[in-house]
Amino acid sequence: MPDKEYQRLTRARSRSEFAVAFISRSSLWLGKDHLLYIETSGYTETYKRFYFRDIQAVLLVATKRRAIWNWVLGAPMTIFLMLLLGTLAGRSNSNTVAITIYAICASVFAVPLLINNILGRSCICHLRTAVQMEELSSLNRLRRARRVLNRIRPLIVGAQGELSPAEIPARLRAAVESPDVATPAPGVTASPSPTTNRPDAPPVIT
Amino acid sequence: MNASPIQCPACQAWLLDGAFNQPEWSPCPACGVPLQMEVFPALFRSRSPGQSGETIMIEGESSCFYHPQKKAVRPCQGCGRFLCALCDCEFNGQHFCPACLEAGKAKGKIKNLENQRTLYDSIALSLAIYPLLIYYFTLVTAPMALFVAIRYWNAPRSLVRRTRIRYVAAIVLASMQIAGWGLLFVFLAGHRF
Repeated sequence: MPDKEYQRLTRARSRSEFAVAFISRSSLWLGKDHLLYIETSGYTETYKRFYFRDIQAVLLVATKRRAIWNWVLGAPMTIFLMLLLGTLAGRSNSNTVAITIYAICASVFAVPLLINNILGRSCICHLRTAVQMEELSSLNRLRRARRVLNRIRPLIVGAQGELSPAEIPARLRAAVESPDVATPAPGVTASPSPTTNRPDAPPVIT
Repeated sequence: MNASPIQCPACQAWLLDGAFNQPEWSPCPACGVPLQMEVFPALFRSRSPGQSGETIMIEGESSCFYHPQKKAVRPCQGCGRFLCALCDCEFNGQHFCPACLEAGKAKGKIKNLENQRTLYDSIALSLAIYPLLIYYFTLVTAPMALFVAIRYWNAPRSLVRRTRIRYVAAIVLASMQIAGWGLLFVFLAGHRF
C-alpha cells in the first residue's frame, strides 16, 4: 500500500466559536516538505501550503477563551443544578417531570463544560513566513498546538538547520547590519530595523 | 535585548528577541499578553535580489523566447522554450516559464499550485440527503444528485480525502429515491385506470 501523501495533524475545527452558525472549518495536514492548511466551507476546499524551508516563526498566544466558556457554561449549569437539588429536597413524587427537565438541562451545559476543560488551555497559533502571518485556527488549544509543533519542529530543523536561543541575538545583529536580510512580514508591514528610531519600537534594554 | 523583526499578534508591538525559543511564556512588552515564540533560521535568511537577465553580448548566443535581447539561462521544463533569468520561475526545484506556470495552475497540472477545489462528492451527497427533510423535493433533487455523482465521478476530489464513498452513497440514495417515486407513480397509475 503506498504512503499517504498527507497525514492528518488536526481534525477539521470550526473557524468560529459559533460552530452551529458557521460551517467554515479548518484542518492541518503534514506533507512531505510542507504543511497543508485546509479551509473548507463544506463544498469547496481552499489550500494554503507552508513549506518547511520558508517557516520563519511560530507564535503561540495564550487566550482566556477556556475561562470565558467555563463561565458561559458553568453559570447556567449551576442554576439548573441548584433547581434540581431544590426539587429533590422537596421529596414530592409529582416533581419527577421537573427533576428530569432540570437534570437534562444541567447535563446539556455540563458535557461541553467538561469537554472544554479536558481539551486544556486555549491559545491562538500564528505561523509566520517572509510574506504572511497566518493564524492556524485549528490549533486553538495549547496541548494540541504543542503536539503539532513537536512533530513539525524536526522537519523544519531538517530543512533549515538548528537555531539555539544563544545564537538569536547575534543572528539578529548580523541581520540588522546586512541590508538584504529578510524581515518584512506580518500583515505585510514595513521591515523594522532595530537600529532606527522607530516611534512604536519597545524600549531597548542594554 | 533588542527589538526583533516580529510583532505581537495581539497589539502589533515589536517583540524583544530575548523571549525567543524559550520554554516558558513571555509577556508582550506592550500589551502583556503571554506569548511563546519559536523562530527558525529562515527569519534571518538574506533575500536574494531579483534577476533581470543578462543582455546578449555575442551574436549567436541563445536568447530568451520572451525577451530576444536577453541571454537564455535554461529551458522551461513545461514547454521547452528558452528562458532568461527574469522569465525563469523556479517552483519546487523545477523551472517553468510564466505561461506554463499559469497554465499548470489553471489546468491543475501542477498539483502544488492548486489552491482551491470544489467537492462535487459532498454536493452530490447533500443533494441526496438534505431534501429528504421535505421529501417531495427529492423528485427534482434525486436526479440532480445522480447527475452530479456520475458527471463528476472522475473530477479531482479533495487533496486529502481519497475515496469515492460519498459518490457511491449519493448514487445509492438518489437511485432509491427515484425508484420510490417510480413505484408511487406506477401505483397511482394502477389505481386510476
